[in-house]
Amino acid sequence: MQVSRIRALRGPNLWSRHTAVEAIVSCNAADTLVAGLEQQLRRTFPAIGLIRASSPEQTLCLAHALEKITLALQVQAGCPVTFSRTTPTQEEGTYQVTVQYSEEAVGRRALALAQDLCQAAQNGSAFDVEAALAELRELDEDERLGPSTGCIVDAAVARGIPFKRMTRGSMVQLGWGSRQRRIQAAETDTTSAIAESIAQDKDLTKAVLHAAGVPVPLGRPVENLEEAWRFAQEIGLPVVVKPLDGNQGKGVTVNIVDREHFGIAYNAANKYGQVLVEKFLPGQDFRLLVVGDKLVAAARREPPLVVGDGIHTVRQLVEQVNADPRRGEGHATSLTKIRFDDIAVARLKVQGLEPESVPEKGQRVILRNNANLSTGGTATDVTDEVHPEVAARAVAAARMVGLDICGVDVVCESMQRPLEEQSGGIVEVNAAPGLRMHLTPSYGKGRDVGQAVIDYMFPPGNDGRVPVIAVTGTNGKTTTVRLTAHLLKANGLRVGMTNTDGVYVNDRQTDSGDCSGPRSARNVLSHPEVDAAVFETARGGLLREGLAFDRCQVAVVTNMGAGDHLGLNYITTLEDLSVLKRVIVLNVQPDGMAVLNAADPAVAAMGPHCPGDVTFFALDAHHPVLATHRAQGKRVVYVENGSIVAQKGKQVVRIPLSQVPLTRNGQIGFQTENVLAAVGAAWAVNTPWDAIAQGLSTFISDVQGVPGRFNVFDYKGATLIADYGHNPDAMQALVQAVDNMPAGKRVVVISGAGDRRDEDIRDQTRILGAAFDEVLLYQDACQRGREDGEVVALLQEGLQGAMRTTHVESIQGEFNAIDTALSRLSKGDLCLILIDQVEEALAHIRQRVGHA
Amino acid sequence: MHKAFAGLHLHCLPCAHLPLVLPSLPTRAAGHCMPRHTPMSNKKIDFLRMTHLRGPSIWTYRPVMEVLVDIGEFEDFPSNLLPGFNERLSAWLPGLIEHRCSPGVRGGFLKRLQDGTWIGHILEHVSLELLTLAGLPDGYGRAREAGPRGVYKVIISAAHPAVAKRALHMARELIMAAVEDRSFNIATHVQELTDLVDDLLVGPSTRAIVDAAWNQRRIPHIRLNAGNLVQLGYGSAQHRIWTAETDRTSAIAEGISKDKDMTKQLLAACGVPVPQGEVVESPQQAWEAAQDIGLPVCVKPGDGNRARGVSLELTQEADIRAAYDIALQQGSEVIVEQFITGLEHRLLVVGGRLVAASRGETASVTGDGRHTVQQLVDLQINADPRRGSDGSLPLESVRLRENSPEVLELKRQGMTPDSVPETGRSVLVKRTGNMTTDITDIVHPEVAYMACLAAKVVGLDIAGVDVVTPDITQPLHKVGGVVVEVNAGPSLLMHLNPAQGNARDVGQAIVQHLFPEKESARIPVVGMMGDADTSRKAQLVAWLLHLKGWATGLACSDGLYLNQRCLQSTGGMDFENAQRLLINRNVDAAVFETDVRLLMTEGLPYDRCQVGIVTRMPSTQNLQDLFAGEDDRMPGYIRTQIDVVLPMGTSILNADIDAVAELAQYSDGAVTLYAQAGTHPRLIAHRAEGGRTAFWRDDVLVLAQGEHETEVLSTQRPAVARLLKDGSLSQEDILVAACAAWALETSPDLIRAGIKSFGQNAHSH
Repeated sequence: MQVSRIRALRGPNLWSRHTAVEAIVSCNAADTLVAGLEQQLRRTFPAIGLIRASSPEQTLCLAHALEKITLALQVQAGCPVTFSRTTPTQEEGTYQVTVQYSEEAVGRRALALAQDLCQAAQNGSAFDVEAALAELRELDEDERLGPSTGCIVDAAVARGIPFKRMTRGSMVQLGWGSRQRRIQAAETDTTSAIAESIAQDKDLTKAVLHAAGVPVPLGRPVENLEEAWRFAQEIGLPVVVKPLDGNQGKGVTVNIVDREHFGIAYNAANKYGQVLVEKFLPGQDFRLLVVGDKLVAAARREPPLVVGDGIHTVRQLVEQVNADPRRGEGHATSLTKIRFDDIAVARLKVQGLEPESVPEKGQRVILRNNANLSTGGTATDVTDEVHPEVAARAVAAARMVGLDICGVDVVCESMQRPLEEQSGGIVEVNAAPGLRMHLTPSYGKGRDVGQAVIDYMFPPGNDGRVPVIAVTGTNGKTTTVRLTAHLLKANGLRVGMTNTDGVYVNDRQTDSGDCSGPRSARNVLSHPEVDAAVFETARGGLLREGLAFDRCQVAVVTNMGAGDHLGLNYITTLEDLSVLKRVIVLNVQPDGMAVLNAADPAVAAMGPHCPGDVTFFALDAHHPVLATHRAQGKRVVYVENGSIVAQKGKQVVRIPLSQVPLTRNGQIGFQTENVLAAVGAAWAVNTPWDAIAQGLSTFISDVQGVPGRFNVFDYKGATLIADYGHNPDAMQALVQAVDNMPAGKRVVVISGAGDRRDEDIRDQTRILGAAFDEVLLYQDACQRGREDGEVVALLQEGLQGAMRTTHVESIQGEFNAIDTALSRLSKGDLCLILIDQVEEALAHIRQRVGHA
Repeated sequence: MHKAFAGLHLHCLPCAHLPLVLPSLPTRAAGHCMPRHTPMSNKKIDFLRMTHLRGPSIWTYRPVMEVLVDIGEFEDFPSNLLPGFNERLSAWLPGLIEHRCSPGVRGGFLKRLQDGTWIGHILEHVSLELLTLAGLPDGYGRAREAGPRGVYKVIISAAHPAVAKRALHMARELIMAAVEDRSFNIATHVQELTDLVDDLLVGPSTRAIVDAAWNQRRIPHIRLNAGNLVQLGYGSAQHRIWTAETDRTSAIAEGISKDKDMTKQLLAACGVPVPQGEVVESPQQAWEAAQDIGLPVCVKPGDGNRARGVSLELTQEADIRAAYDIALQQGSEVIVEQFITGLEHRLLVVGGRLVAASRGETASVTGDGRHTVQQLVDLQINADPRRGSDGSLPLESVRLRENSPEVLELKRQGMTPDSVPETGRSVLVKRTGNMTTDITDIVHPEVAYMACLAAKVVGLDIAGVDVVTPDITQPLHKVGGVVVEVNAGPSLLMHLNPAQGNARDVGQAIVQHLFPEKESARIPVVGMMGDADTSRKAQLVAWLLHLKGWATGLACSDGLYLNQRCLQSTGGMDFENAQRLLINRNVDAAVFETDVRLLMTEGLPYDRCQVGIVTRMPSTQNLQDLFAGEDDRMPGYIRTQIDVVLPMGTSILNADIDAVAELAQYSDGAVTLYAQAGTHPRLIAHRAEGGRTAFWRDDVLVLAQGEHETEVLSTQRPAVARLLKDGSLSQEDILVAACAAWALETSPDLIRAGIKSFGQNAHSH
């Protein structure tokens, strides 16, 4: 068995909506899953489950086993994954194996381990499954979000808010574009840096809380007994008296309630230096969680402790406690084992104990001074007990410090009475508080604090999404994308757009080159000035990585035609291609819209796969698919009597084609189709009709608008048309458009891209040969794996027996070819230049036109 | 600002409302009290008491230090009778010529010295001059006779009490040295005071914001710690700043800005140009990466600090390989980064706008074949009179300390501070952090947009965006410029005090960002003074505001209250406690009762108020320890309550007492007069002018303005009658509180309901 290419599909993809690893696996006869091999696999890894092929005629082989093992390893390691699939390719014995992952690194590692396991089974050697699972578990714990961040992200997902991890740590983007927010664990992007600094300064915190009338253990150093007593009365009894620089509790007296006791305590502390008088807060430790201006959870916290029974030693008691199966090692469980380390031993010493001492029955022995769950402390949920006055103080404290998410540490006897009544107080406020103690307290009810955070950040009805329009198809994608973006812009939105020319945000180019993949789309969705996004979604990125988004509001499929790029990446037939391009339709949100070309059967067939509604468009008002849809009262866009008509039942809007310059009065059919698609898309995101009409009237397909898309020039009275078309369907559309334009001699300049099937290259000139008098061939810059001259030869083959062409010439270099063509033109002639290096060629043409 | 306070920034304008006027001519001393020829040592200046008046006081709006001075025998020796004193003083402190004093002209105070003036007055001017030299110009000062012979009150402004105290003590030492013809080292003393100012006052960036808030918007501030944490505005209307961070500065954004690599990734994703870079793991990889990125490159440690291990502008394979090893010694990973040729610029973005930009200049010396680099630096750079090391000059001296970035820069050029460069060779000494030039006006709009976008992408409301570009007047992508860093809490100094070009009011930009033009920084504040009759009035006002739905704080003689909850029952009026209400972000409105003693010992706990109320004119009888003088001086003290009323605010005065009613002249805002009866001539006159009045008529409370009258409630109503009968309220309490509520646009219905329900819910906790 050979695993040749592994990809991580990070969004919805050809196989499923889930993130997945995809591998190309080749098996030979030796890899057939004979009974012995399968038994060996099961002996090694019993959890493997049933091995079945997706269709009964397939022979089971190791590829199928690899799939199931990769999945089962992740499941056993605790990952929430369910989907896997093995698909044969047209190459004998070669399969595409796809297995869902929840963490990419875990998925990749599971695949590698599964390979090892298969190998071991084949060789009859050993494979340590337990070690493999332990490794995956550990990797998963490292990779996945921690409990605090995780609960917020889970709550976001439940609300339909998309998320993206910004770091390998806990920083996460929630929502998209201008509606995005950020969190980092239990911190939001509105958590104030100043507030955090205040929270870190205990004295300053006390001072501001005191100003706000929140009870705090006020304290200060004093000079003498009289001043000390005066201050004690000022802050109110009971008080603590202690040396300012005390350690180990020497000279500390707590809970002083009268003058006499106070005097003794003062003298005791005074022996060790200057005396500090502080308000004493009797009681237990509580943590109150404030989100926004609400108290959302409260927990009583206890440090790790054991209770003596008069028989066992401290060490034995700790062992007994740790034997509790709920106590685990990491953050995964609600209880963690008590650590018996140097810190614990030192803590015992303070209490006059040794690890081997036997504490009295009922004696509480504390093993650590803090109540963190991670060091063995416990948390008990007390949310329902909190007195409204206590909650009000916690909220006031958070607000005073300025924290939107705040862990308030309270010391008092009970949550059920106002703090002021029980000499309780707030001792600390914490930014980015841990949420685990509220999510999975050791005792009591877990609280959905993640939801509280999400509801605070995203008010009801706001899912953080900006409209996303995905556009795919064989031809017309770029123009449709640009025009759709232009229509949304006419509605005042700042639009982010990706296409084969680059990334544009609000008309600024932010990246260049072919940007029709998911990386560019993700960048747009993270841009803070994007109110809506329009993505050209090319096949390459979709195959490589899946979609950049979990779902879109609108999916536009312009056409499939005869297909393009067939034969690459196991996409060999038009049907394969349709299944691939259908992915955007499958991932339309339930209240979204697919905008589909009714006239293209492969596209129209995608309609039933859309979870949302469908808008059909077609030039022909009477196309049966469109007419049926219209009769059903659903949305359609078509051309009738020189107008674009958008109709839904009785609602009809007409925009005259004469006011849509891109279509040249409807002369250019393929541009008109692009306009219909864009109108359907803009309508789907509720763009007002006046904005749509205005946008259509101002969109000019000049070089500024869509470089390389039917750019028309005048050269000494001849018409030049520059276009980036490079497949048979594009040729057909161009020929149709050019046929509508009156001209004398017709000249075409063409090269062929090497990464097409031979027949597709030949077809292009076959189409052109019927419509042009002269054909100038040149070799394009990048032959994409073809021999020198090979493509030109294919193009020439296509011209054999051409109906119209009388002159064929091969020329070295694009500029030379253009110049030659121009030299052959007279006034009234027409020349179609199929450019390759878009920017350079257009610059060259512009220069020649300028000098004409 | 009111006319009587108009001269705040000028020294010694006669204070119209104060009877304590220093004798203008030394006739008394010269007349019957001839100087006795006693030894100089018996002449001394005793400071009897220092009082820090933290808020508006009987002297001025500003915090001041009031020192009670006994000048003893000096009472008989005005300045003209102290031989050589005036000459020594003016020689030591030449700046005294700027003190206009009562003559109101330059040299006015020197004239007074010549004519003979007393030590208390001199103490004031010398203290202020010392403060001016220590960087605190525009001080406020007064000197007044306190009453007993030779005892004066000297008042100087106190930006910080410890600074004012030190200045007064220093001034006393200086005066005594001048009197006794001893030497006095002005420079060391001024230095000491300057250091104290630098230590104790807010830093210059913070000061710029605080000053802009006050000077342009009259937004008050309260300092919240010994550092630069300051609140602007009051209560729930406040914003906090901490140097150039605001309470809107996101902690997450700050974290991102500190992670340079993450910042670069985020910026690049949004199309902000950043230098390309790669982490490399071997010299070979470094060279390959350099070729990918394009030469020249710089090679640096990924986590190193400052310039250590950084090699710039490399083009040769051998150099790049060598630079890898140098970088590796300083950090755990090595980064090869595109070297951007260009100048360093700092663009300050505030609230999505570019508000200032400066360019850092490099510093170089040119060899002459004779001097060492060290010597050339002193000759060609440090000789610039704008350079120094004491912080008062715009530029710092360049020092070539071991391992400093400057020395590393030399090393890159194959030199040490002791090298002698050949004639004409230019040696780069400092690449960054040198002098700055303001270039705000020439930044290309596209560059400004990119800086603002960079701040937004990181998530900072205030950011210093570092841009390296050969030409700031061109879009970055056209000339190959990049954003290299986005800084939170940027220093404002380079914009406030550039070495060249215009200073920019970045403080104002930050204030505008926090308080857009229409947003008020103030909450409604009601202040009242009377004669031990104001507690219940204050409580009733607070109750009415509480019912209005405002979270209301109350500081009165009964204690400190928040939302009708008692925080403490004693010391509620003390400055420290009362001010808590204004610090509290949860407070929407505050009511303050103050008595004259607190006014004279602490000052008012707020700077200005919407509503200022005076009900009675107390006696000075119990204030003799404060040298309050006779009763006729009381209006001069009490008027402070009316002086602090905002122009949009209201003064509420008892028309039944003439001395109170006459305070109306000091009000910047509107005046409401109240009296027991509407027939009071003052009320009739005030109504005739369209003013607001309130009175009782046939047991009915009437609020009247011009023709318009509203009958609010009747004492016949059982609820009101009960309150009056059991002494919970008096008719005057009701009258005053209704006026205050009216001034804050409370409806008569709510006033009526509130008065009737007074005491029913209060103090329930």
